[in-house]
Amino acid sequence: MFATGQQALGKRRSADSDRIIGWVLAAVASLAVLTLVFIILFIAENSGKVIGEEGLWSFITGGIWRPYQSEYGASSLITGTLLVTAGAVLFAFPLGLGLAVYLSEMAPVKVRRFLKPAVELFAGIPSVVYGFLGLILLVPMLANLFSGQTTSGFCWLAGSMLLGVMALPEIVSVSDDALRSVPNTYREASLGLGATKWETVKKVIVPAAAPGIAAAAILGIGRAIGETMAVMMVTGNTALLPEPLWNIFATVRTLTATIAMEMPECVVGSTGYSALFLLALILMVIILFINLAARALVARSQRRFTGTPAGRFEIWYEKRTAQFMEVCGRHRLQLLRQALKTALVFVFLFFIVSLFAPFGEAVVLAAIVTAALGLLLTDGVRRLGRRRVQTAAHCGMAAIAVFVMLLLAVIIGYVVINGAPALSWSFLTEFPRAGGTAGGIYPAIVGTLELLAGTALIALPVGVLAGTYLAEYAGDGKISRLIRDAVDVLNGTPSVVFGLFGLAALVTWLGLGISLLAGCVTLALMVLPVIIRTTQEAVRQVPPELREASRALGATKAQTVFHVVLPAALSGIVTGAVLSLGRAAGETAPIMFTATVVIESKLGNSILDPVMALPYHLYYLASEGRADPSMMYGTALVLLIIVLGMFAVATAIRIRSERRSR
Amino acid sequence: MIDELTMEVKGLHLWYGEKEALKGISMPIRRNEITALIGPSGCGKSTLLRALNRMNDIIPGCRIEGQVTFRGEDIYASDLDANDVRTQIGMIFQRPNPFPMSIRDNIVYGPRIHGQTKAGELDELVERTLRQAALWDEVKDQLNRSALVLSGGQQQRLCIARALAVNPEVLLMDEPTSALDPIATAKIEELACELEKNYTVVIVTHNMQQASRISDKTGFMLMGELVEFGDTESIFNKPQKEMTERYIAGRFG
Repeated sequence: MFATGQQALGKRRSADSDRIIGWVLAAVASLAVLTLVFIILFIAENSGKVIGEEGLWSFITGGIWRPYQSEYGASSLITGTLLVTAGAVLFAFPLGLGLAVYLSEMAPVKVRRFLKPAVELFAGIPSVVYGFLGLILLVPMLANLFSGQTTSGFCWLAGSMLLGVMALPEIVSVSDDALRSVPNTYREASLGLGATKWETVKKVIVPAAAPGIAAAAILGIGRAIGETMAVMMVTGNTALLPEPLWNIFATVRTLTATIAMEMPECVVGSTGYSALFLLALILMVIILFINLAARALVARSQRRFTGTPAGRFEIWYEKRTAQFMEVCGRHRLQLLRQALKTALVFVFLFFIVSLFAPFGEAVVLAAIVTAALGLLLTDGVRRLGRRRVQTAAHCGMAAIAVFVMLLLAVIIGYVVINGAPALSWSFLTEFPRAGGTAGGIYPAIVGTLELLAGTALIALPVGVLAGTYLAEYAGDGKISRLIRDAVDVLNGTPSVVFGLFGLAALVTWLGLGISLLAGCVTLALMVLPVIIRTTQEAVRQVPPELREASRALGATKAQTVFHVVLPAALSGIVTGAVLSLGRAAGETAPIMFTATVVIESKLGNSILDPVMALPYHLYYLASEGRADPSMMYGTALVLLIIVLGMFAVATAIRIRSERRSR
Repeated sequence: MIDELTMEVKGLHLWYGEKEALKGISMPIRRNEITALIGPSGCGKSTLLRALNRMNDIIPGCRIEGQVTFRGEDIYASDLDANDVRTQIGMIFQRPNPFPMSIRDNIVYGPRIHGQTKAGELDELVERTLRQAALWDEVKDQLNRSALVLSGGQQQRLCIARALAVNPEVLLMDEPTSALDPIATAKIEELACELEKNYTVVIVTHNMQQASRISDKTGFMLMGELVEFGDTESIFNKPQKEMTERYIAGRFG
């Protein structure tokens, strides 16, 4: 009989090896923390010099930024960053929320299936391509339209519009998640009471998802505030405050642009060099606060539907608001709210009108428009009737979706139509001539592919193992929470800060020089948190039954993880990895100080040689301005093809695996 | 005959954090018999079953006192490897949980993990276990198709075949038919009776008819305690305890 009387029970063998594997994975995961510590250390250490000479406070509050005369006052740069970001969110948030509402509540399944990846495509287009299009399309357009307000067209508004488009996918996807996590019972209850779909959305779904939606806006801010290339190419970059402060046609300069522009001209170790690190430190602190706020809001929105107890602050806040309502009375509170809203609209309109008209007229005009709007929204809506409002709202949301799709079509279509004629065999296989104004882009293509391969080689193993550790091994202890926090912070760190770190730590301190290796490591560090997170997410979605089934067959934990869990999570991991690598391929800021040179006449033959890269080449051509435009379009198109090709691969993998699991 | 005793539970207590889920359970499990555990939801019968092959070890905050012996050895002895325990004492879960692999790969997963890699042997094993699980005729032409295309009942029989492939001595079944339709349930029950000849089976079930149909011994549990344990016939026909009688008469639970 085969079934009984087998070997005796074994004595501890697999338990030890299991523990060792756990430790190894933990060590890999703590690399993430180590990276963060190193980044902070290097940036803080390097910014020490300027703090010593100027003092932190006068650096932050000082109004004049003239590094060549040793004047370091960063207030106009900080303001510039905040203004451009605020403008971007003001532009992108209504669009993003409208689109998210359309996607999650109104769009037919088929439309949604097409629209969602299309919106994500915005995030796939490289920053430098946005900047390039801004430079040749948006800036001249603004100069024509508003010739009285801006002569060149380079302005805050242009920067905000570009950043807004770039922040759109983040805002849409986070809001969409928040809306879809509202339980269906809410919808059914509201519709069951006879509310229209739009009323349900407006009065039930959106308020229920409010914290998540707020988090979306904040994450959008976080994405916009760290952007470098696109802003730098269209805002004009004068280190002055706009006059008046709300003049969206004024030129401004951001923290990131300052770092990217001045770093190549700095002497390593000088005060100016140190000042740029301090700018990066300030940027990181701002982003840290933004992310903390977003995280608190997301946690709050999750609590809403799971019923976990609220934090102390929240309880305090809710008590206070309840007290306030008690004192004020419901009716008066409503009036107050109405008044506040009206005032906000008025101020906003005044800001805009005052840029075109003298003060007195602006006040009158803004007041008239505010009143008209108020009337339209209250009385007009009443007269229309609920059904028509529902239809109008539906059309409005659909119109937003169409507008966004048109925008995407214009962006991609413009590059394709203008770039296609430039593509030729010689363009792809020849070296550039005459300072890049003629010849081909062969070395830039090779360089970008080399950077991509090197980045994947470093980031994939580390990222996947670390993500696996976080999902499968790490408990909820202090150490694993520390690792998770470090990954979150790294995830929000702007790419230009990685570039700065690469320059200080890899190029200078380790002595790698401007090289392929330094660029790959820098890019790898940048994509690492994304790969860790997507791996973690994919692994977590593997159903626990599979683990139990494997363990019940006597498999060790490690065997279960590597033979069952990871294969089941593979498509999710690959999708995330390809997406993040695609983004890395289009990045400029991290490699411009660490890996790239302007022109190469022959390919480097060691990983310690510098390379050319498509995004930096495009930036160089566009900012130089002498090049034949077809060279720029061609470069942009090749870059777009590589990046969007990877994006398409990732989407295809995801769709295939979704289909299989159904 | 002492030899007939495959497993024995002695004074078993189990805590999930502060909550005591098992309060001093003792019972024998005899070779080549089906032992059924019945009782209302939350009475601890699944917990007890999972304690029999240390599946609770995976749950954080789970603490255990007392003894579970397998062929006279305490399976919780500190120098014993839980994975080896689980190799000898297999488990079938409530919901069929095939891996997202081919039918064949599902079955050879266990043997491969335990170092058996020869293709010929594995092919033989696949056929033998699928026959044992009464699934061979239905799937023999599609061994390389994804296991996820099978029906729920077929998936559950595949999971049984998969468990058999690592050659266990004991099979623990945690409400194996609760997610299946009556026809699939009948097949699994038939299969359990067939397996009894070569294996020792412990089955947790919600369904009292099922327990009376297939088991030799039955234990009735309530709030973490084993109220009554004995021959299935006597438990169902002349229970000693009032609680057992009331439960079997369907007055609660």
